[in-house]
Amino acid sequence: MVLEGVSGEFPVGSVTALVGANGAGKSTLLAGIMGVLAPIAGRVHCAVPKERRAWLPQQLALDLSFPMSVEELVMTGCWPSHGALRGYSRAHYRRGREIMERLGISELAHRPLGELSGGQRQRALIGRTLMQQAELLVLDEPFANVDSASVEVLTEVFREMAAQGATLVVVLHDMQQLAQLADRVLVLAEGRGEWFAPEEIVPAHDIHQRCLQTAQRLLSGARP
Amino acid sequence: MIDALLAPFAPLVEFGFMRRALVASLALSIAAPPLGVFLMMRGMSLIGDAMSHAILPGIALGFLFAGFSLPMMSLGGILSGLVVAGLAGSVSQMTGHREDAAMASFFLISLAAGVLIVSLGGNSVDLTHVLFGSILAVDTTALLLIASISSLTLLGLALMFRALVVECLDPLFLRGQGVRGGLVHGLFLALVVLNLTAGFQTLGTLMAVGLMMLPATAARFWSSRLEGLILIAILVAACSSVAGLLLSYHLDLPSGPCIILVSGGIYLLSALFGRRHSLWRRLRRRASPLAARYGEATLSRRTKDPGP
Repeated sequence: MVLEGVSGEFPVGSVTALVGANGAGKSTLLAGIMGVLAPIAGRVHCAVPKERRAWLPQQLALDLSFPMSVEELVMTGCWPSHGALRGYSRAHYRRGREIMERLGISELAHRPLGELSGGQRQRALIGRTLMQQAELLVLDEPFANVDSASVEVLTEVFREMAAQGATLVVVLHDMQQLAQLADRVLVLAEGRGEWFAPEEIVPAHDIHQRCLQTAQRLLSGARP
Repeated sequence: MIDALLAPFAPLVEFGFMRRALVASLALSIAAPPLGVFLMMRGMSLIGDAMSHAILPGIALGFLFAGFSLPMMSLGGILSGLVVAGLAGSVSQMTGHREDAAMASFFLISLAAGVLIVSLGGNSVDLTHVLFGSILAVDTTALLLIASISSLTLLGLALMFRALVVECLDPLFLRGQGVRGGLVHGLFLALVVLNLTAGFQTLGTLMAVGLMMLPATAARFWSSRLEGLILIAILVAACSSVAGLLLSYHLDLPSGPCIILVSGGIYLLSALFGRRHSLWRRLRRRASPLAARYGEATLSRRTKDPGP
């Protein structure tokens, strides 16, 4: 997907919702932010060091049949400090348990990931990014296949992370979730991006309709 | 009484060639199955098969230039295995095709090249030996080679275990941490090649992969934890080695196929009666779906006492 004419910044401690129709280039932009795809023209500057960036792809991209328990997954978030070899100390395990407690998955600690529901998996994956002390969190549709209770817990955790200075970029489709979570909205359409405040976007019920309108406005050169 | 029970095992101690065969196959049984477990968990069960063909041309070249010299043949095998793995990896990376397609193409090329090279310099007996091995002909050099490859594999696996696990689950995470996923993957494939080369002397190039994959696939029916899978796979491999060797001695059968067939038998039994996802489990669940979910005790209590 070609994106041109996207500019702006994601301020520290903010939650930005990334909105756009399928194929609008949301995932491409995320890959650009994470430094996996280099821009052909222009520049992507990311102030957060590599090991403090977390990228949570859509769940389908993960092989969750792999025999790993929730606790083991959360503990892999220690990678920046521990690498491939150092053993986890008792203090780290304690932190892992606190994180699982916060996410409400303590009783699932030793269950394999393959047996969990979509919401429980998502909580476990967020647990890993908390363990990682991520300062930049890039989430691709974190609430797809996630039950409403989990959405509520995760929204709260995301807001807390932002309040503690983390920067979040979240791909969202649901307007209600967007209203609860986001500070700012970046709408992608026709290869271009426009920034909005959540209040400007939320009243529109059909987001795809809205994207289309935005695209038409962008093409006609008028600023909304 | 005890003597009578132990009598069938006596040949394992009595004869030098059986002792060496036992040690060789046990060493393979410790190192290869963990690799098989990882291959299986990453949906690469057939890659082992492909790699076992990839080492053939190198072995054949070694055979052509140095005659029946194990170190030369092994070196050739390792080199050609690594070259094919590297080529397949880079072709899939360059073209964006899936790695298994590139692997399949390369292993067919290697198989044909290998058979051609062997036939240039030898006869059909040599070919049979390379393809199917002869564990009873293991000498001290071969034993040392197998033992060092097994030790190296265990050490390598221990060092890269966490990276491998993380990479299997979520390659993007590792990439985000600045570790090149390709590096972990490449090292892992190199270990697979090493082990297949170690196995070729005893089981032959075509069957060496059997002691890697069959114990792993059998273990899948018994455990859902990685550690459990690895331990069970090693246990299955070791048991099949001992049982296969004894079978081949007492019934006067070729040893390689015996070992692989015993682990194949264990796989089939596991598929039928294993603790997890086996046919038996499935039938039982179908017969009483609620019992499987709530436990038999709860259910019987419920049926007896329907409640107010």
